Amino acid sequence: MPIEHRGVSDDAKLIVRSLKHDHDAFGQLVERYATVIVNLAYRMVGDRTEAEDLAQETFLAAFKSLPTFRAESKFSTWLYRIAVNKCKDWLRAKRPGQGVQDVDVDEVLDAGVAAEERTPERLLSQQQVAAQLDRAIQRLPPLYREAFVLKHVEGLSYEEMQEILSVNADTLKMRVYKGRLQLSRELVELKEA
Amino acid sequence: MGEQDLLIQRFLDDDLTPEERVAFLQAVDADPSLRRRWLNLELVVAEAAQLPRLAPSARFLAQVQAKLAPASISRWDRFRAAFTVPRTLEWNLAGAMVAACVAIVAVVGLMRFAPERIVEVPVPAAGNQAQTASLSPGQESKVFVRLVLLQPDARSVSVAGDFNGWNPGQTKLERSEGGMWTATIALKPGRYQYMFVIDGKQWIADPLAEEGAGDGFGAQNAVLDVAI
Repeated sequence: MPIEHRGVSDDAKLIVRSLKHDHDAFGQLVERYATVIVNLAYRMVGDRTEAEDLAQETFLAAFKSLPTFRAESKFSTWLYRIAVNKCKDWLRAKRPGQGVQDVDVDEVLDAGVAAEERTPERLLSQQQVAAQLDRAIQRLPPLYREAFVLKHVEGLSYEEMQEILSVNADTLKMRVYKGRLQLSRELVELKEA
Repeated sequence: MGEQDLLIQRFLDDDLTPEERVAFLQAVDADPSLRRRWLNLELVVAEAAQLPRLAPSARFLAQVQAKLAPASISRWDRFRAAFTVPRTLEWNLAGAMVAACVAIVAVVGLMRFAPERIVEVPVPAAGNQAQTASLSPGQESKVFVRLVLLQPDARSVSVAGDFNGWNPGQTKLERSEGGMWTATIALKPGRYQYMFVIDGKQWIADPLAEEGAGDGFGAQNAVLDVAI
């Protein structure tokens, strides 16, 4: 789900105030982007507690680096870049076997925003697919995972992804393609099983 | 990745031309296997867009703000931050070139005009050559020796000797008022033979040297004893 479009001037005003150590202004920026960053981190590392820690580290790093933020780029893009790098550092440092998904998918669905009516059977099926897809995303190699998540979970364009990841769009497309293929095969295998 | 798989991927990215799109949909209509592969991938994309969103915990914002607000910053920390906080320096090429020129002039000026520390020490007199010991720290002791020749008609005067490989082009004397030519050279303590060279061709011994030595070719070299 893409980030809700924010007027650049809204973010810019809050950034200017934050640079003058107005913590309330920065708090508003945190409130705006907390959900997006926490979810990005969660999709990357698969652990809710770690995702919130990484999101907090992202905002703290952003606050410290605010003087270096260039107004030519979007604040969200800049924040994404910091978050992705924090997640990569965490993934590099973690030992194998850790980072297993610990979120109860049912709990997350109940707390979700969507309000449309569903039949129980359809809801169960959607929950199962969501859980399976979540786990399958965690099994993607990190480079495919970050590309797939930014493209199809966060809804970013290849141009924005290029700016965040500093990788050219053609390479990003191949990573997304491979991510899709792997996920598609895994879901097909699960259904057949 | 096969050609058909690549087409599917480009279709998912809305990356096909209208003609390619028509061709793709016709192929999908005719080929059940291709259709199945395409639909599986479409499902992945559709399901990913609907994945449930986590809401940050209730404490999230408070925890971030708590970490943002430092304990009261001491005057010392603020003073130190004034020097250590990274700043963005904006520059242009003209300013950079001016700064580079100023730096070059400053370095050249320092090298030219800042003398080594010179301490006058009593040395045995040798002719009218003034000798001064140089005590640059960390260096072997050298003595500054001033060579003087009165030659009003000369256009150029240089000195060649043991200290410069007998190269008359290396050490030139400077002319001052009255046709006096002088040069000051730094020499390690020792014994040196030398001659003056007038206008690049006439070699003469220093008329003021106290000691001479034959050069093996019938001429006389001047001898200079340098001691601290």
